Amino acid sequence: MLSMSVCQEVLGRALSRGGTFAEIFFEDSRNFSMVMRSGRIENAAMSRPRGAGVRVYDGLRSIYVYTCDVSREGLLRTAERAAAAVTDTRGSGRDVVLAERVTPNAHRIERRVLDVPADERAQILRAADSAARAVSPSISQVNAGFLSREQHVIIANSEGLYTGDTRVYTRLTCSAVASSGAENQTGSENPGAMMGFELFRDRVDPETVGRSAAKSAVTMLTAPYCSAGEMPIVIAGAFGGVIFHEACGHSLEATSVEPGMSEFAGKLGQQIAAPCVTAIDDGTMPNEWGSLNIDDEGTPTTRLVLIENGVLKNYMIDRLNGLKMGMAPTGSGRRESYAYAPTSRMRNTFIAPGQDDEEEMLRTMGDGLYAAKMGGGSVNPATGEFNFAVQEGYLVKDGRIDSPVRGASLIGKGSEILMRIDRVGREMTMGQGMCGSKSGSVPTNVGQPTIRVSRLTVGGK
Amino acid sequence: MEMNISTFAARVFEAAKAAGIAPAEISYSSSESFGASMRAGALEDYNVSERVSLMLRGRVGERIGTSSTQALDEESIDLLIRGVMESASLIETDEQDDILPPDDHYETVCNYSEALDAVPAEAKIALAADIDRRMQAADARIKPNMSMVRSAKETFFLRNTLGLDLSHTSNMIYAYTSALAKEDGHAATGFKLLWGYGMDDVNAETIAVGCQEDALSQLGAGRMKSGMTPVVIRGGTMADLLSTFSGVFSADNAQKGLSLLAGREGETIASSCVTLTDDPLMPWGMASSPFDHEGAATRTKNVIENGVLRTLLHNRKTAKKAGTVTTGNAAGGGRVAPSNFFIVPGTEALDSLLAQMGDGLYLTDVSGLHAGANPISGDFSLLSRGFEVKDGKIVRPVEQFTVAGNFYQLLKDVLAVGSDLVFEGSPVGCPSVLVSGLSVAGE
Repeated sequence: MLSMSVCQEVLGRALSRGGTFAEIFFEDSRNFSMVMRSGRIENAAMSRPRGAGVRVYDGLRSIYVYTCDVSREGLLRTAERAAAAVTDTRGSGRDVVLAERVTPNAHRIERRVLDVPADERAQILRAADSAARAVSPSISQVNAGFLSREQHVIIANSEGLYTGDTRVYTRLTCSAVASSGAENQTGSENPGAMMGFELFRDRVDPETVGRSAAKSAVTMLTAPYCSAGEMPIVIAGAFGGVIFHEACGHSLEATSVEPGMSEFAGKLGQQIAAPCVTAIDDGTMPNEWGSLNIDDEGTPTTRLVLIENGVLKNYMIDRLNGLKMGMAPTGSGRRESYAYAPTSRMRNTFIAPGQDDEEEMLRTMGDGLYAAKMGGGSVNPATGEFNFAVQEGYLVKDGRIDSPVRGASLIGKGSEILMRIDRVGREMTMGQGMCGSKSGSVPTNVGQPTIRVSRLTVGGK
Repeated sequence: MEMNISTFAARVFEAAKAAGIAPAEISYSSSESFGASMRAGALEDYNVSERVSLMLRGRVGERIGTSSTQALDEESIDLLIRGVMESASLIETDEQDDILPPDDHYETVCNYSEALDAVPAEAKIALAADIDRRMQAADARIKPNMSMVRSAKETFFLRNTLGLDLSHTSNMIYAYTSALAKEDGHAATGFKLLWGYGMDDVNAETIAVGCQEDALSQLGAGRMKSGMTPVVIRGGTMADLLSTFSGVFSADNAQKGLSLLAGREGETIASSCVTLTDDPLMPWGMASSPFDHEGAATRTKNVIENGVLRTLLHNRKTAKKAGTVTTGNAAGGGRVAPSNFFIVPGTEALDSLLAQMGDGLYLTDVSGLHAGANPISGDFSLLSRGFEVKDGKIVRPVEQFTVAGNFYQLLKDVLAVGSDLVFEGSPVGCPSVLVSGLSVAGE
């Protein structure tokens, strides 16, 4: 790992020609991934991503230089390349004095994946694969993946911080293809957590994962296409939270708020959602996929209320955008790896449990759509326009779930859907995703109770 | 203690031999990049990087194991060797990428500009500033976002214990800007990107004007009426669709039941006006290279020729299974991927395609491809924007509707292919195409 004395020297060099702040982010990781297709393991590989990034603030401008050469000489050269880009030379040549801050760990890890015998790891994939295939003869393909990451980081900055952290992630991915010969449909389940191999003892049963993915694919194979139109929609929990994540969460990140590219910019204290909506971004939840001890700028993570009873309370803010906005960082500075400068990102982001009965919201909705499982989606943060695939959808007729439909997508604007939520259920569940943005792909949880939206455009055929 | 790549590779081969790993192969990539972004007259981001990654593959008994690192030190030698041994013990498939001696002959292809390497950082920053200045000076309805310039250089090398020793270097520069246009409470986004191998390829005026036109043209957009409608798909948008569904042409996917094109070589799968080419030897192509990730020589081929499926894309493993030879499309990790991949342009200009359509939709942008498109079934349902066309003329912008269809069907429904082939910052390119019908869900 990287010593305090080298960090001190590198930060000093980074500020040698001016600049108001310097930071080094060092990472040395051990990853293991394994893929099974057609019931056989096709790939299994360990990898060791390692490198460091040096960041300097030149006024409110970020200079970022990274390298894989983490020798003292390599890092000093990297710091020099950053320093060379500094334009405001006031206060150059400051000395940096570091003090170690120990980061307490709130996420206990019991079994390192790399210490688990290889065959025991392989067994997880076999279980998911065979359970999926047993669901129906129409399952033509099962793709199961095992992913683990052990990220060791050191973060030091010119304000005197020197700290380290280890983030451990384990995940099982399973997608099943159901085929009629002429047509294919897929279903997938991808549970993960900030845990070691104990994930499979405590939270995730690989057989249940395989079965659920396969059932979803089989159900959709025989389903007719969803017809298009505007209708009320009930969206189930867990990955259903992807809509809030994409259509609202990204627009509450300082990355889009600070430059005014968000429809929620300048709206703190205003009613932006229906009064039944309270939304939270929480990095502190023990062992959750989107949790942290400290963010990738070394700031301790937080639990942040984004929306309270429909009123916008907070944005997610990283250090640099905080400076620009004159607001305190919220422990939301994240990055995929040393190859990215950090920016404001989500952690575990969810609509909080409400007061409504799930059976009642279906019964009183009339004709509409029930989205049992959501697929992914995307959004234009400037306009709030979004599009989400419904992985498993059902038509609702006269308040009753009638029949499965495929090919549905939900379309609208973030600000509109927030106002149109008219029921929020009592039990919040979460799903795991990899969220892509300016600072790369980071693990995030999405979540919500079952909710109802009074009216939304459904795309179909 | 860090080592240079030659010393490190020699040490790894030595350790592999001692561990009984034979043959062994190292693939190594070393890249540098530069990026600067400008907003409202201020340089906002400045990024420089140098990055390496190294993968060791090696045979242990029946199987080939894989392991990789970004650290060229003693600890990594041990990790690579242990990793390959463990990987080989876990892998159960018989059909693996093999490690082989070099091919007899490799073509030469150039997508590296020495002159671009020599362009100083100041000139690239000045370009970003120029684009930004033009954006700031635009129409009051335009709210400029970031203007960005980025250049990159990569060297890829492949070396094995059977005499293979290949390397290829490429570079490129691209510049883009985006903006929001606002009028009467209505907002629309605009975007323009250019790329190439010299500063002349990334003209500031073309980028700024292109972005503003894109944003302004969509102001006051209405909705589309729901229903089946003929569509002209803009080249860049068709390329987005082709890129999303390019996996259907992978023999690897076909052999695993993930593509409906399995075993359909020789059959008509597209309209007779569709010829789809994979050309790794295209001069100045973004994905050009004389060899693929297995060290096989690459070659140009038609995947679809006048509507008929001629071949899928193969690596050595899939080719062996199908009783044919590799097409030189190994992408690493046992995967198959296209190189420079495009629909061959026809003779008709965009105006002529619109005229031929009469009434319908000119589809200029789709979003949410990773979510709204299923690369296995071919189904897509995508949030779209474009223009309503009447009597062959664009009459008004439209937004907030979805276009749904199926990629396999789309290939068959192409009525005409335009002459305007574009590669919009991607190795996948298309000209505009006229298709008989797609399903629109609007109001």
